[in-house]
Amino acid sequence: MAAADSPSAALRRRDLCSRGIRLAGKMRADVVDLLDAYVEQQGLDASASVAAVEGVPLAAVERWDEQTGTQRLLENLAAYRAFRALLAQMLEEQREQLGEADAGLGRALAAVLLQVSAFAYHLEELLRLESRGIPGEEGDGPPPPPRLSLFEQKLRGLGVLRELAQWAVRSGRDLRQLAKPSPANGAAPGLAESP
Amino acid sequence: LGDPQNLKCVTHNLHKMLCTWDVSPRRRHGQTDFCYTTNDLTPQVCLKTKERRVEIPIPESSITVTIKSSGTAFATKEFVIHQKDISFVPVTPHILSLMPDFPTSTLNLKWSDNGSVFPYGLDALWQIQILRKEAMEVVTQVTYYSKLTHEDIILSWNWTSDMPLECTSHYVKIRCYINATQFVGPKDWSDWSPAEVIPGKDAEPGGSGVFPLDPVVAVGSDLTFCCVHEEDQRITNMTYGSKSYTMMQLSSRSHAIRVLNASVSNTSGTNVVCRLEHGLEGSVVFVGYAPDVPQNLSCETPDFLIIKCTWKPGRPSGLYGERRTKYSLFERTSGKNVSCEVSEVNKEHVCGFPVLPDQKTYDFILGVSNPIGQAQSSLLVDITQRVHPRTPEKLIVTGSNSTSIQLHWFINGSFAETRLLCQIEISSSNSERKLHNVSIPWWKSSTYTAQLNALHPDTKYRLRVRCSAADHFWRWSDWSRGVEQTTSEA
Repeated sequence: MAAADSPSAALRRRDLCSRGIRLAGKMRADVVDLLDAYVEQQGLDASASVAAVEGVPLAAVERWDEQTGTQRLLENLAAYRAFRALLAQMLEEQREQLGEADAGLGRALAAVLLQVSAFAYHLEELLRLESRGIPGEEGDGPPPPPRLSLFEQKLRGLGVLRELAQWAVRSGRDLRQLAKPSPANGAAPGLAESP
Repeated sequence: LGDPQNLKCVTHNLHKMLCTWDVSPRRRHGQTDFCYTTNDLTPQVCLKTKERRVEIPIPESSITVTIKSSGTAFATKEFVIHQKDISFVPVTPHILSLMPDFPTSTLNLKWSDNGSVFPYGLDALWQIQILRKEAMEVVTQVTYYSKLTHEDIILSWNWTSDMPLECTSHYVKIRCYINATQFVGPKDWSDWSPAEVIPGKDAEPGGSGVFPLDPVVAVGSDLTFCCVHEEDQRITNMTYGSKSYTMMQLSSRSHAIRVLNASVSNTSGTNVVCRLEHGLEGSVVFVGYAPDVPQNLSCETPDFLIIKCTWKPGRPSGLYGERRTKYSLFERTSGKNVSCEVSEVNKEHVCGFPVLPDQKTYDFILGVSNPIGQAQSSLLVDITQRVHPRTPEKLIVTGSNSTSIQLHWFINGSFAETRLLCQIEISSSNSERKLHNVSIPWWKSSTYTAQLNALHPDTKYRLRVRCSAADHFWRWSDWSRGVEQTTSEA
């Protein structure tokens, strides 16, 4: 059982959750815009089916409602750390392939990368609030993916952005779940207790 | 009945011939006496053989052959062979190596011309066949000419395919014909060599993908793309950009499309997508232009520290990022080479080269290249005649009275050995603008002074300055910022 919440901690958590929900909503809108621009700029077919891309965390989860609050935060944090690395690589490939030719897409990609980094930090804040240890980053990040062909890079980018858009939706739902007051004492559930 | 029949003699090297004959099946296993005599009364030569073939020297003119084959009863037959009856068929050529260069879709064939076998230099013709697909269809047949020179020479020949070598297996065969004009008998092509093969990806277990992979090609090219897939995969369609193309089947695991007169691709390249029943394969092709020869190459120095070269690049290449057009400046006298950082997007093309100690004349070559081609421009320049000073700065009045003003300014650069000509523009509300020229001798430091006289008392003047090289004028600097000064009352 987590230590009973002090009113200030509960207030702090609710504040962090609501700010997180807004950040997730903004991030989702920006990712959807970026996705449209990416599809057009890369000459892709928006309906193209992309196989699961190695290293991209899947937003879909079974028995979502049975997850504890800590599980939600830890899974979210792991996902956004992975997206931070994936987006950074996409930005690097973008510069390599296009140079300054399409700075607009590069800026939009960098903006989303900033939001993902901010959101990961936000999740760490929530975990700190619950005096949960923040899981260390895996060594110096995920192993570099195999060298892909340009078309495979394009498809991977498509897969990354699509999944990130899904995650932004899920994160909003996760944070709303965390922000719910606890049925017992009207305070938000201790992270370990949430259903 | 049962006599030796159909005696035929063939030479492969113009000095020995191989004679063969037929006998009835009953006599095939017995001993045979093969005797021959040329007609210049040399003694008869006899050979015993169990085979129905004998190798003997080619006669000067003709020979009489007697073939006696043993068995239940002797059968003897006599033949007269004239030189014109002997046919000349070169030995089947032997392919030494067949090497693929996948990036350029080129096959390199090497074979020996076997020239040492022949007594004197002869003209040789080689027919080379390229075949493709499982049905080994002839793609092309080429005739290659060479001269035999008593030595075994290794001949080499390249062929560039109109489709990537990965698309399907390519086979090569070769045969030869030797134009021995002195040889009176019939001459014929050798047999085809055994086919050498370069397997395509469609012959490789697990081989799949679209080829060529991520190529860079010139606008207007005709391109062939193929999609190699697993045997059990059904291909739905292949698109180039947003357009679907009719597919040609190369093998059970390879289909191709042909794109004619490719137009320039967008910045991220044109996608070639192969849609399969369970999946997607693709390649990205970048279609652009080779660099134009740079126009109006011009070099000047602002400060005798750096030489600034500018040029007009010509038509944009349409290639970006790591495929962009790159520039380098090479100076022949010093051998120094500088690579230029040129922005693809902004229109100004400029490159800096250091002024070298004790060198006035520079023999520049501006090299331009991208994956499609290269070009260059050159310029021989004496930089003392190409001085374009920087804008004068820190213009201040250092002295003033009712009829004169003393100005002071700074120019960044080391013009120690250069006489400067500066122009001071003087304007005031009650007189039109005047230009005052002042010549400034060599000056160690970068600060300069000039005195303006014959001014009107109690008058507000606006002053600015620009400079150029006095000897060998090239270009004025930009005007400095203006400064205002009012002369004192008389």
